[in-house]
Amino acid sequence: MKTLVEMKQGQEGVVVAINGDARYMSRITSIGITPGCRVRIVKNDKNRPVIVYSRDTMIALNSKECSNINVEEAN
Amino acid sequence: MTDKNEIVIALLGQPNSGKSTLFNALTGLRQHVGNWPGKTVEKKEGSFVYNDRKYLAADLPGTYSLSANSDEEIITRDYIASGKADVVCILADSSQLERSLYMLSDFAGIDVPCFLVLNMDDVAREQGKEIRVSDIEDRLGIPVVLFSATDRKGYDKFYAALEKAVENKPLLNSDALEAKYGQIPEYVSIRSIIGDISDNSKSSMWLAAKAVEGDAPVVSRIRTLLSDDKAAEFDEAVKNIDKGIVKTGECKFAWIDELISGSVNKSKKTVELGKFDRLITHRIWGKAVVVITILLGLLASFIPALPFMGLGSAVGMLPDPLNEMMINAGCPAFIAAIVCDVLIRCLGFVIQMLGFVFGVTFVFGLLEEIGVMARISYVFDNTMAKFGLQGKSVMPFLISFGCTMGGAAGTRVIDNWGQKVLTIALSWAIPCGAAWAVVPMLSTLFFGAWTPVIIAVILIVMILHMWLTAKIFGGSLVKPENRCGMIMELPPYHKPKWGALMRYVFGRTKDTFIRSLKVVLIVAFVFWLLSYTSSGDASNTVLFKVGQAIEPVTMIFGMKWQTFTAFVASSLGKEGALGVLSTIFSGTGTLSVGMMAGGEQAANLNELLLANITKPEALAFIFAITFNMPCIVALAATYQETHSVKWTSIIGLYYTFTALVLSGIAYHIGLLIW
Repeated sequence: MKTLVEMKQGQEGVVVAINGDARYMSRITSIGITPGCRVRIVKNDKNRPVIVYSRDTMIALNSKECSNINVEEAN
Repeated sequence: MTDKNEIVIALLGQPNSGKSTLFNALTGLRQHVGNWPGKTVEKKEGSFVYNDRKYLAADLPGTYSLSANSDEEIITRDYIASGKADVVCILADSSQLERSLYMLSDFAGIDVPCFLVLNMDDVAREQGKEIRVSDIEDRLGIPVVLFSATDRKGYDKFYAALEKAVENKPLLNSDALEAKYGQIPEYVSIRSIIGDISDNSKSSMWLAAKAVEGDAPVVSRIRTLLSDDKAAEFDEAVKNIDKGIVKTGECKFAWIDELISGSVNKSKKTVELGKFDRLITHRIWGKAVVVITILLGLLASFIPALPFMGLGSAVGMLPDPLNEMMINAGCPAFIAAIVCDVLIRCLGFVIQMLGFVFGVTFVFGLLEEIGVMARISYVFDNTMAKFGLQGKSVMPFLISFGCTMGGAAGTRVIDNWGQKVLTIALSWAIPCGAAWAVVPMLSTLFFGAWTPVIIAVILIVMILHMWLTAKIFGGSLVKPENRCGMIMELPPYHKPKWGALMRYVFGRTKDTFIRSLKVVLIVAFVFWLLSYTSSGDASNTVLFKVGQAIEPVTMIFGMKWQTFTAFVASSLGKEGALGVLSTIFSGTGTLSVGMMAGGEQAANLNELLLANITKPEALAFIFAITFNMPCIVALAATYQETHSVKWTSIIGLYYTFTALVLSGIAYHIGLLIW
């Protein structure tokens, strides 16, 4: 298991758990990232938000906060 | 503006669901923009007539959910649940159906008549998606429309669904969602404690789910509806819930999956970044590409602005001949002066500035619409986060080098109110085009070859000023606990919809025109009164008398009454500073409001300035006008975007004060040098 920010460009995974304060969990849920959903890392550059693809949507996520999201790698 | 026979329709949808496009297409220019009572959130309403029936459309704030994390969300859900709307139109983006149906799932359980619009049907079809509406309609029990808000021809379907919803008052069937919630033990226990209580149209299911999510207003509301021992039981149940929002979120998306399963055909295409996306998001080149894009946009803004500027300066020509005509016709000089000097000159000035707002709104509205703005935000997110801002703030900052009013208008795309106000507050520190027209000329005159040094110092002070201002106001505008990092969708590029865009741009320009003209007229009238003289001698004016009386104080900041008067005038418009100095020193002509748009200058202005102003005073004056309030039109635009008299005044006073402080510092440093 990894956090989202540790994933590399092109890798895919399934979200296992989401941590953080209530506000963060609320926002991340409303944009469609929930436990069980599949994500693909489109771009993960240093000092830039992580771009993931999930539920037909390209989403940019603050990279620090991405350590709140645990992912199980998948192929 | 509600009338009894009007049918009120509320538009509910996430950002990027095309809600504004739909609203603009329905109501055209019959829109009214105001504030929600007691809040700084913009309230947009508009009316339209269809089949002889009058409708009032309320464009609710674009939010991602109906939780209680922001004013926008609370306003939205309370409005919907209040029953003020006869029917709620829920929007979702067909091209990102799963994710954007979250709003529907969060709405489910509020029992008011509604229908669902699956917008951007055209984009979904381009992606190879096929959606069968009838299945979804059966499962939800409400009318569902699949269409594209940008396609004029598709509106028959929309109106048909609207009329059906108005006639039959259908309620959303949320049984399947409740079954999902039933798998959360915490939900089950709360649901059994609260029983069948409801609050307006908020059903017990909706209330229980929000309680599981730890929604504070809902929790305290439920408590008031329960008996004492039940309330205690309820408190106990709520206290022990961990990550309730994640649990209900899973249920909502499971429900959405079930809802659309079998009714959506997807092509199995992997979506990657396109060519332009790879360039603009490039680790090294990205920032340069963004800055170039914005600067090109800024240049392009001048093209649609030119006709306005021409018209504005034509209007600005009117006062002199008109004044003569009025006086010849026997009109009292005082009245003629008010009409010509205040009314018409202000009108000309506002129209000129308006051209720029029109251009900026158009070009940057276009960038937002096609999806470029989201990429800009991505590239500058980390940099702007240091100021407590989001990446989009870089755009108003760059525009402010041209015109602060345009920058303020550009903050429209920032979706967080606090960050929007802070962006405007910081952009005021950026010297605008008018300052750049005056400052290099003055510093060359007084400091010759040192001009580049002075410009460099101005730029450094600008950055320090922005940093300090962010420190001072950041804490209260963007509370640290509300500072959340970027969570933003990068929408697929859309083709621009010119009709909808133009309606939006004209609507905005009209609003800005009305609001800023009001502010400009008031301020200009006051300035005119202060500087009015019947004899044509500047030393008879109130401004002169006050200026001379307080000169001992203004000299602390390095300003004699003449430069102080020019400083005060520069808050109206920086172009006017030289005109005022010219009038005072040459002793000819009267001070007039028209000067803020750049009055005439005496031919020997340079000699006059050199003879009357010392070097330290000149340095003080340069800093005073550079960092003073940009102009009254910028003040008006700030009010229009922030919807807050309080913050507009705070920013205005803060800049007047800091300009004086900077001027004082510059003066005393100057005294040490020369």
